[in-house]
Amino acid sequence: MPNQKRLKIAAASIILLIGMVFLGFAVLKKTSIRHFTPALLVEDKGKMDNQLVQVDGLISEGSSKWDTANFELTFAVRDRESSATVNVIYKDRLKPDNFTDGGSVFVEGRYDATQNLIIASKLMTKCASKYEGAESATPTDETSYISQ
Amino acid sequence: MTAEIGQAAIYLSVLSGLWAIVFLSIGLRSRNQNAVRSGRNAVVGTFILISIATGALIYGFVTNDFSMRYVVEVSSAAQPLLYKITALWGRMSGSLLFWLWLLTLAGVIVVWQNHRYNKETHDTLADYALIPIVVVQLFFIVLVTGLIEGVYNPLARFPNGQMAPDGAGMNPLLQTPSMAFHPPTLYIGWISLTVPFAFAVGALASGRIGSDWILRSRRWTLFSWIILTIGITLGGNWAYRELGWGGYWAWDPVENASFMPWLLCTAYLHSVMIQEKRSMLKLWNILLITLAFQFTLLGTFITRSGIISSVHAFAQSDIGGYFLGFILASTAGVIGLIIFRWKRLKSVNRLESLLSRESAFLLNNWLLVGLTLIILWGTLWPIISEAINGQKASVPEAFFNQVVIIPGLLLLFLTGAGPIISWKKITANNFRRMFLVPIVVGLISGALTWGFLALKGNTFPIYSVLCVSVSVFVIVAIFAEFYRGAKLRAKRQEISFLNGLSLLIQRNKRRYGGYIIHIGIVILYIGIMGSKGYFLLESKSMRLGESMEVGSFELTMTDSFQKEYANYNRAGVVFDIAKNGKQIGKMEPARNFYFKAGQGEQDTIESAIRHFGVNDLYIALGDLPPNINGGDVVNVQVYHNPLIGVVWIGVAIMVLGGIVAIAEKSQHSRDV
Repeated sequence: MPNQKRLKIAAASIILLIGMVFLGFAVLKKTSIRHFTPALLVEDKGKMDNQLVQVDGLISEGSSKWDTANFELTFAVRDRESSATVNVIYKDRLKPDNFTDGGSVFVEGRYDATQNLIIASKLMTKCASKYEGAESATPTDETSYISQ
Repeated sequence: MTAEIGQAAIYLSVLSGLWAIVFLSIGLRSRNQNAVRSGRNAVVGTFILISIATGALIYGFVTNDFSMRYVVEVSSAAQPLLYKITALWGRMSGSLLFWLWLLTLAGVIVVWQNHRYNKETHDTLADYALIPIVVVQLFFIVLVTGLIEGVYNPLARFPNGQMAPDGAGMNPLLQTPSMAFHPPTLYIGWISLTVPFAFAVGALASGRIGSDWILRSRRWTLFSWIILTIGITLGGNWAYRELGWGGYWAWDPVENASFMPWLLCTAYLHSVMIQEKRSMLKLWNILLITLAFQFTLLGTFITRSGIISSVHAFAQSDIGGYFLGFILASTAGVIGLIIFRWKRLKSVNRLESLLSRESAFLLNNWLLVGLTLIILWGTLWPIISEAINGQKASVPEAFFNQVVIIPGLLLLFLTGAGPIISWKKITANNFRRMFLVPIVVGLISGALTWGFLALKGNTFPIYSVLCVSVSVFVIVAIFAEFYRGAKLRAKRQEISFLNGLSLLIQRNKRRYGGYIIHIGIVILYIGIMGSKGYFLLESKSMRLGESMEVGSFELTMTDSFQKEYANYNRAGVVFDIAKNGKQIGKMEPARNFYFKAGQGEQDTIESAIRHFGVNDLYIALGDLPPNINGGDVVNVQVYHNPLIGVVWIGVAIMVLGGIVAIAEKSQHSRDV
């Protein structure tokens, strides 16, 4: 094959490669969101005001309130390792299945630092037994089937 | 006693696996037929042993043996029989055993196929391929023995003769037919990819680098592709019907883990055609099938290691590390063999032009592999960013939705251009004859779509216009291919056009099956465009007697109801549906309250879905108040999903095309 043709093919491949890499980087830069635990978000409060964030933690026991009239869910997401919490408001969307006290939850939305509140646009629950749970059951302790 | 027999069978299978590897290796090296035969028998033996173990576990489920830890965790006495059996893959240990059983079944099928093939010839390629299959089997056998940290033996009993009064039961979300069959379908798809990979390794080991290994494993690859297509769609369909969020794909890491091997498998199915036709891309094909196989394991690594946050909550354990170790070790093995066979991997021919069918295939491969790597990049970015700058990032759906558009549209174009562009180099005549009409019709359709959407208020629907334009180009190009071929056949054989068409497909199932898949893909694209780009969502808090409007539909909440079932109660409301002012029927969205649900009591959204042609009206309810008839407010979420039916139709056509293509018998080349 003449060198010129080979050069053309190599050039086309490189352009495609650069295009794909650029696409991967550029779109990621535009769309990626900072991920926090509640403790880290509270720590970084000042910097993250009015920013899009994702928080991953546990649904604080007894904190969730479903206001049927206003189609509004409010709850606090608790850190797994400390007492830090962040409040969440989720409006006009259904509460997802598996939303239970102490369950894992992902919250995505805009953070209001003054109120320590996330106005959530997306809420995902993660249920340990949705597909399966940590494998720690014993026959004598039935509650341990409910394992996170 | 049954569980103990099953456990013993698992331990014995370690020996039979080792036996197979040693005897096959010695037999192939010293050309000792008896040793090879003994190795093959050991492969069958492993299958029998693992079948005994799997049967023992199923027996435990059916007989409610609550002294077995795994049975307690995923089953309960009241669980319907179907879900007792599907509980086999309900959790990690059982799914590993099930995976292993399928893998041993694949081994036996390879032995059987080889036996049939060798009636005509004495060929050792499949025996070489058996060795990597058994190596992968051994990896899984070790995992289910329970001897390593992080996974327990699925047949293990509780210590000291303890027994639970009842099992915890399977999560209610999983107690649906599509969820019962979604995981095994994916497993079957992934495991089938082990066979072409094993043939690639066998080709490297034996030095027979020609196209024989591709031809002999072709049906496995296509089978895997078909099954993965079905499996991924079942998952999406399940999410759509069960989870109440009106969508079917969310780019979750676990979804990506199933999609990436599919993309690589698709790339491989195309690139092998260049090797067969033009003796090019030998190395690339080996790398591609290796990558596809490794990505099936990578999926397990991603889901089990806990390094990536996912809404799919699989148990996190050390098992991810074992998978990563196995991926690295097996990749190193393949690279070693490639270096060993380097000289034989050189292509006979080279690309002659950028505008040729070879180039179209190559571009298709670049795009599919590139897309896979971009999806992997997005999936792994949370840990990459944490490693680079200490900040954990999350990659939302928007990244994936945006990043796939351009490569996706280019790929769509290639589904039409690839089949009609000539080999070696496009000519002016080829362009005029094949491309001109599809391009013109495509452009006109694009312009009409632009006008239609503009009238509906969309000012700049560029991607929709491009999608329709390219789709029409592809459809016209492919139908023209069918038309030309059928007409020619009809003329030559002096038969009717339809008989000519039927003959055309029968005589070249692989090619025309592939074209049918391309038509399915176009239809799928249109469905995705409509359902993702033009859905409507309305939420409202309503009392009985109140109405809401969604698009041209009016929904009036007229009644509430409660029903009792064996292991759950159902409560919901009744909607009268009117379209453009005309009553068209009722819908009954509800919530199910399960008594025993793996995590205590649970209630789940039971959406009501009504199809209007290919469009869906979809209603989901929030937590139900105690007194709906007394005036309590119900939270209602309604979606209008246009063209969603087209998504399922497109996939069905893809599967149909795959079945046509797989029906073609492989022609074996003899390329020792």
